Amino acid sequence: MKFKLKHKYFPLFFILPLIIYIVLISFYPAFTGIFQAFHSPSTGKLTTSNFTALTHYGLFSAIINTVILTAGALAIEFTFGFIIASLLSKTFRGRSIFSTIYILPFGIATVVSAYTFSLIFPAVGGYANSLLSIFGIHAINWYSNAYMTLFTTMLADSWKTTPIVALILLAGMSQIPPELYNAAKVDGAGPIKRFFSITLPNMTDFVTIALIIRGIAEFNIFALPLILFGYSPALLTTLTYNFYSTTSTLYYSLASATILFAFAMGFALIVVFRRRMIGAYEA
Amino acid sequence: MKRKTRNKYLLYVVASVVAIIFIYPLYILFLVSFSPTRYTLDELFPSQLLSHITLANFISALTQYNFVAPMFKSLEVAFLVGALTLAVAIPAAYGLSKMNKRLANLIVVFLFMANLVPALVIAIPISAEFIKAGLFDSVIALALAQSLFTMPLATFIILGAFRAIPKDIENQARVDGMGVLRTLYTLLTPLAKAGIAVAFLLSWLTSWDEFTFAVILSPLKPTLPVIVYINITEGSLVQAAAFAAVISIPVIVLTVILQKYIKGVYLSGGLTG
Repeated sequence: MKFKLKHKYFPLFFILPLIIYIVLISFYPAFTGIFQAFHSPSTGKLTTSNFTALTHYGLFSAIINTVILTAGALAIEFTFGFIIASLLSKTFRGRSIFSTIYILPFGIATVVSAYTFSLIFPAVGGYANSLLSIFGIHAINWYSNAYMTLFTTMLADSWKTTPIVALILLAGMSQIPPELYNAAKVDGAGPIKRFFSITLPNMTDFVTIALIIRGIAEFNIFALPLILFGYSPALLTTLTYNFYSTTSTLYYSLASATILFAFAMGFALIVVFRRRMIGAYEA
Repeated sequence: MKRKTRNKYLLYVVASVVAIIFIYPLYILFLVSFSPTRYTLDELFPSQLLSHITLANFISALTQYNFVAPMFKSLEVAFLVGALTLAVAIPAAYGLSKMNKRLANLIVVFLFMANLVPALVIAIPISAEFIKAGLFDSVIALALAQSLFTMPLATFIILGAFRAIPKDIENQARVDGMGVLRTLYTLLTPLAKAGIAVAFLLSWLTSWDEFTFAVILSPLKPTLPVIVYINITEGSLVQAAAFAAVISIPVIVLTVILQKYIKGVYLSGGLTG
């Protein structure tokens, strides 16, 4: 079988299987799921009743908890991500060993990290409290209320996800020309000033990408909360899964998944749009 | 000069503190899986140090649970994901490498957008489809779903590998009368083997770790991550620790091997610049 190389559309034939696959396994099911979520389980008519029903099962608190968790986890990941990226952007003896250590959690299965953190932060006692007791600090109840539970989850989640953020930020940092820093040093700018006036503004693309990738993944956080504390406080994902595994029809879980989708996409749009606005402002 | 040594000293202190934080959870996992339970899970405030080593937890996990079936399921799915991903991503990357760069980058971005649709949003509708098709709990169904995570990244990595091959090599083969498919599979693919190997291993790793699709599409014939979850919900925490350690060993080896390829530019999917 020979194609004419000159034919304008021949590359498309090679890409076609991938496009068909993505449409068939991703876009089509997502679309039918969302479509079905707007239909009545009994009459099959167009309705929003599935969504109003969800409001009686703690939809709003699930939304609020998901947003809090996303914001908090992103804050921790970016703080540590910038620290690690700054460290790795320097050359020093032993850098590759440190780099290996920082990257290790990236490959660990979410279920494994969730289980490990359930040993570190169990309901009573545990490794974190035993460590604190060495320093004479009283045992902490990591799940004393919904906010504390979310905070514990943020800590556990950031362990596995910070490496990705750090690597993306490192890629951004390494494309900043060193002359910029030398000039700033001559002008007497300290490290913090240099970070905010040179590093950050010169890597907004990478920050945006990291924010979108991690932000959407954070909305989808599932195995970790499920293993650490179960269904309460509810998140959009655990609420969806709860409906999926306990109700006989899929309508409620689809409606809940649709809301998850809307929030994840809304978040991505806000990030991209804000980036555009900043870009327009700078130009 | 003095300031410089002080800065270097500070660098090592910060680097070490962060390293300890990052290594600590893994240390605890292996501590629990290799210690007798009376020093770990049975203690309210367990000791941080390893005092006794035992393989009893592994033996109990491997004898009490059907370990072989989930292990094979995980391996089958992971290899199938790797194979499916390459089968689709190699031609796609080749097609993209033949296109105008701007259009190719636009398509790559589109592929990564597909990656951003929440797994639950896809998993629930396709579970219904797979039940209808008689594929529920099957290896192929799970591999088809998990490949969603791996296809875009693999295509992007292989595209980079193809772009790095000098154009003259391919042109010469064409002049010699080689067909497009032969050029791709007998000439270009071997030249891009490093990138293809990385794409395969990252896909393998993604599938080996994956949970959301696995728990929804294959709950009755579980993979290893689902077995860990089942153990935890049943309260068999020692066995869960042993399984978790077993899952993590190939992962740690692969991460160390792949670390120079796990780059921010790859992970961001070429969405920048």
